Amino acid sequence: MRRFGQTIKDLWRDPMARVCIVGIFLIIVTAVMAPVIAPYEPDHMIAAPKSAPAPDYIFGTDNYGRDVFSRVIYGARVSLWVGLIAVGIGAGAGYVVGMIAGYFEGWADTIIMRIMDILFAFPSILLAILISTVLGRGLGATMVAIGIVNIPVFARTVRASVIAAKGLEYVKNAQSVGVKTFNVLVRHISPNVIAPFTVQSTLALSGAILTEAAMSFLGLGIQPPDPSWGSMLSEARAYMEQAPWMVIFPTIFIVITILLFNVLGDSLRDVLDPKLKL
Amino acid sequence: MKKLLSLMLAVMMIASVLVGCGGKTTTTEPEASTAPETSTAPEASTAPEASTAPETSEEPAEPMILRWGANSEPTGFDPHTVSEEASLRIIPQMYETLLGQDKDLNYYGELAESWEISPDSLSYTIKLREGVKFHSGNEVTAEAVKYSFERVLGRTEAGDIGAFGSKATYFGNIDTIEVLDKYTVKFTLSTVTSVFLSNLCSNYGAIVDPEVVKANGDLMRADGGTGPFALSEWKADNYVSLVKFEEYWDADRVKLDGITFYLVGDEAARLAALRTGEIDISTLSASNVQAAAKEENLTVASYQTSDYIALGLNASTPALQDKNVRQAICYAIDRQNIIDIVFSGEAIPTHIIPPSTGHWSVPLSNYDLYTTNVEKAKQMMEAAGYNENNRLTLKVAAGLLDTIRQTAVVIDQQLDAIYIDLEIVNLESGEYVDVWYKMGTTEAGFDAMVVQDGSGLDPNRGIGMFFTTDGSASVFGFSNARVDELCTLALGTADEAVREEYYNECQDIIIDDAGKIGIASPMAYFVISKNLQGFVPTLADSGNYRDAWIEK
Amino acid sequence: MRNYIIRRIIQLLPVLFGISVLIFAVMKMIPGDVISGILGIEATEELRHQLEVKYGLDRPYIIQYLDWIGGVLVGDFGESIRSGAPILPEIGQRMRVTAELAVLSAVISWIIAIPLGILAAVKRNTWVDRFVRVFALLGVSVPGFATCICVILALSLMFNYYSPLGFVFFVDDPMMNLEMIILPALINGFGISGSVMRMTRSSMLEVLRQDFIKTVRAKGANEKVAIFKHAFRNAMIPVVTLIGMQIGSLLGGGVIMEQIFSLPGLGQLAVTAINQRDYPVVQGCTLVIAFIFVIVNLITDLLYAFIDPRISYN
Repeated sequence: MRRFGQTIKDLWRDPMARVCIVGIFLIIVTAVMAPVIAPYEPDHMIAAPKSAPAPDYIFGTDNYGRDVFSRVIYGARVSLWVGLIAVGIGAGAGYVVGMIAGYFEGWADTIIMRIMDILFAFPSILLAILISTVLGRGLGATMVAIGIVNIPVFARTVRASVIAAKGLEYVKNAQSVGVKTFNVLVRHISPNVIAPFTVQSTLALSGAILTEAAMSFLGLGIQPPDPSWGSMLSEARAYMEQAPWMVIFPTIFIVITILLFNVLGDSLRDVLDPKLKL
Repeated sequence: MKKLLSLMLAVMMIASVLVGCGGKTTTTEPEASTAPETSTAPEASTAPEASTAPETSEEPAEPMILRWGANSEPTGFDPHTVSEEASLRIIPQMYETLLGQDKDLNYYGELAESWEISPDSLSYTIKLREGVKFHSGNEVTAEAVKYSFERVLGRTEAGDIGAFGSKATYFGNIDTIEVLDKYTVKFTLSTVTSVFLSNLCSNYGAIVDPEVVKANGDLMRADGGTGPFALSEWKADNYVSLVKFEEYWDADRVKLDGITFYLVGDEAARLAALRTGEIDISTLSASNVQAAAKEENLTVASYQTSDYIALGLNASTPALQDKNVRQAICYAIDRQNIIDIVFSGEAIPTHIIPPSTGHWSVPLSNYDLYTTNVEKAKQMMEAAGYNENNRLTLKVAAGLLDTIRQTAVVIDQQLDAIYIDLEIVNLESGEYVDVWYKMGTTEAGFDAMVVQDGSGLDPNRGIGMFFTTDGSASVFGFSNARVDELCTLALGTADEAVREEYYNECQDIIIDDAGKIGIASPMAYFVISKNLQGFVPTLADSGNYRDAWIEK
Repeated sequence: MRNYIIRRIIQLLPVLFGISVLIFAVMKMIPGDVISGILGIEATEELRHQLEVKYGLDRPYIIQYLDWIGGVLVGDFGESIRSGAPILPEIGQRMRVTAELAVLSAVISWIIAIPLGILAAVKRNTWVDRFVRVFALLGVSVPGFATCICVILALSLMFNYYSPLGFVFFVDDPMMNLEMIILPALINGFGISGSVMRMTRSSMLEVLRQDFIKTVRAKGANEKVAIFKHAFRNAMIPVVTLIGMQIGSLLGGGVIMEQIFSLPGLGQLAVTAINQRDYPVVQGCTLVIAFIFVIVNLITDLLYAFIDPRISYN
């Protein structure tokens, strides 16, 4: 826990990380408080279609006459949620699998890593399309599809760190004095894995949000009338000339969110990777 | 301070990325054609200077090629099997049928010079135009006609060569095909079939070159047609080019030297390409058509289609077996609202037989069900046991087209007031078709589906195919003995007035049942360059470029 | 070294086998099938069965798989069910487009990212560093399709320009070919430059901190010499790996770019085939994309070994 506190402290010292933490916090608050912040229901048609921004609807209305501002706010919910769960699935499974492969090596390692290679070599957008066609559509399927696509990257990252950690003196000592395997993994090895794992998570999060947007562009992903930033953009692309606000506002939110996560991931890497201390 | 600055910079950069799509600037003159591509004149060095000068003025004009911006890729060009939009746009250029229909739906001979119907309406004797050539150079004979129809029916001597007989229903009543002489062929039907002539005009009645079929196995990538344009090159996902067929029987009429169909999959890209003159003609959705119409180098050609968007209800869903619920849905739908939002106003409200089919369609005003009445709908739902605490959730399949998906979204809003929630699932094309087949059963996994169906020009298709118990497109589980009987009766008589009576009764029954709820019949659009002249699309003949030319 | 190469190639075999099984299984699980698409609304059970027999889809899955993979092993990928066109030549044609776009995008991303990454590392924690990082990450953060559509619209509205239609290959008409492919390559290149920049920066930082650079500096060498002569080469090692991985994923990931810019690439072929459930085409495309991906990875690893002699392989 002391390490964690120290990390946060180090992170806070980096001005860019500070901006990111505050920004991400604000976006999360927006998402959680969506019903309070949004002036309208996201799927209610409140004015004439494609109305330009006005005091009543500051981001304008979309092709159905729904409030773009409310949809962007609710969209934050869906997009972040998809990102979190998908990365959760990918990271969780990748963590377990990577731990096993890295710690036990041998056959388990070979089999697991070959499976990971298979998933990894599969073109990711194709894999996501195929999985979501098999599983069906909607929020759940989209999250699982993106999650599965993410497993191999996490598994590789974790495995590499585990193998490195096994070479450390105190891990070897723990093993030799007969500490149970599970405890070695949790107490002694995990702390060494956390750093690269966390960095990978922030990066994967932004990747997941973009993948959802790309899937929505292809007509998969989140189903109407639910708003996600990606599905809003994909619906809006046909109206780019007549109603540019339909495109601009979700884009701004996507770009800022992803930028914040990416920069945070970068800073986190700087902080967590002691080798990089100049 | 620094962090603030970097944040602001980030925002500024995002803004600068987006500026491009912000304002609409129409300052450029229409003819700023992208710098002439270095069309090197190779002869310049070899020929003496003096003689080239006068000749350049008489230099053969650049070939007049129509450039089509197609929204999807054709699967192939076999007129007897293919039914995708992208293919159907190209096939009529390559193939011809015995008869055609003009804009008033009158018949004229295409490959047929004349035709004669026996007094009992069972046999049709067709005299062919003499000397018509296939693109291969072979002559069109009665044998080829016989072969073509046997192929569609899956009855050729060589067995079923690639045509599967899947479109056989169009000509199912043909009993025998006799070759009377080289240019005369006689069809004998097993029963009186009022729609025989109109079916002859469909693509599936295309006359194909038997030699080409035999050489290639099928016609997916080969050209066995007689049409004004012949297949020149097909680069998948890139372009399909057709060139004028010099030996076309009506060659003087054809002015274009060729048509090239470029694949431009994205709607925004098509609009941009039309604007810059990179393509001459394309299709766009209703909302972008308005944007295109404002461009000074573009114009819009449109016609009212006989397609219609409808909400089909799965007869196997218990909640929807209550006729009151189905009728309540019908009452609750506000068609004009859907037309305004989804079609930018460019569609007409319809039941299951669209008004563009003329006298066949019973006026919408005859049906109280099609007058929006949310109060009444609400009462019906309450009578059926639904209320704010006991709402009905329906899983609805949508997809394939933007208009289908958007209609589903608007209907979802409209049904909210009558205690119905829709759970919309946007299916991709392969799955959409699959679900559609199973729609009358629980296997479909959906309670309802938004569809866009083509009702054709004759109610034999619009009613017979979609609503009889055995109809090949009757998928929502509708079955009514009286409708079956009426359709059989109507097919067996040639008297139009009597047929109309039969079909009117069918419409009354089907509409009252409310198992498939008609919504709107859209317009079809072609956005065309002002330089393209002589192209007049109509409902019966939407892709005829025989008279078209490009003005320089 | 030779043993290492051989061992790596042997390791590829189960991976490729796994991919072929996975793609085959997935295609069988997807709802909807090719025959529904062919027959359209006129389908009857009898016709369906006839076609299933015609395309061999009535046989047990294991036989279908063996039949397919047997063909693949001798270089016969079969024919498209929908159009009847042989698959392998088509994939070859498409690969030329996709590969050109991938390579050009990668080169553009290096041109943008590597100098920026070095600059950021050298000026670490300054205003320049932050600016560079945000700028490079901006490319990663904008959804590619939004950028594409914006660019197309902006060019058509402001300059009345649209890139020429009807793709031609570089060997046939280099200028025309470049004009068609440069826009997507620029957008793609900018999109992926973020990760290259990030990698360059961090590996540069790591190298700059190492003892031998300190020695070089201590000896009084010019700062520029220290950075470019000594640090750069060492810093490029991890960047090379990343570049290898990127080319691999670019080959399979250009679907949306190809669709918007009407490029007849491998991604278009695969997506159309998925929509039409044209099984042999989807299977062939996926297998080829995956194959190239693993080969590129292998080459990257070997290159890595070549650049960095400290790594041993046994």
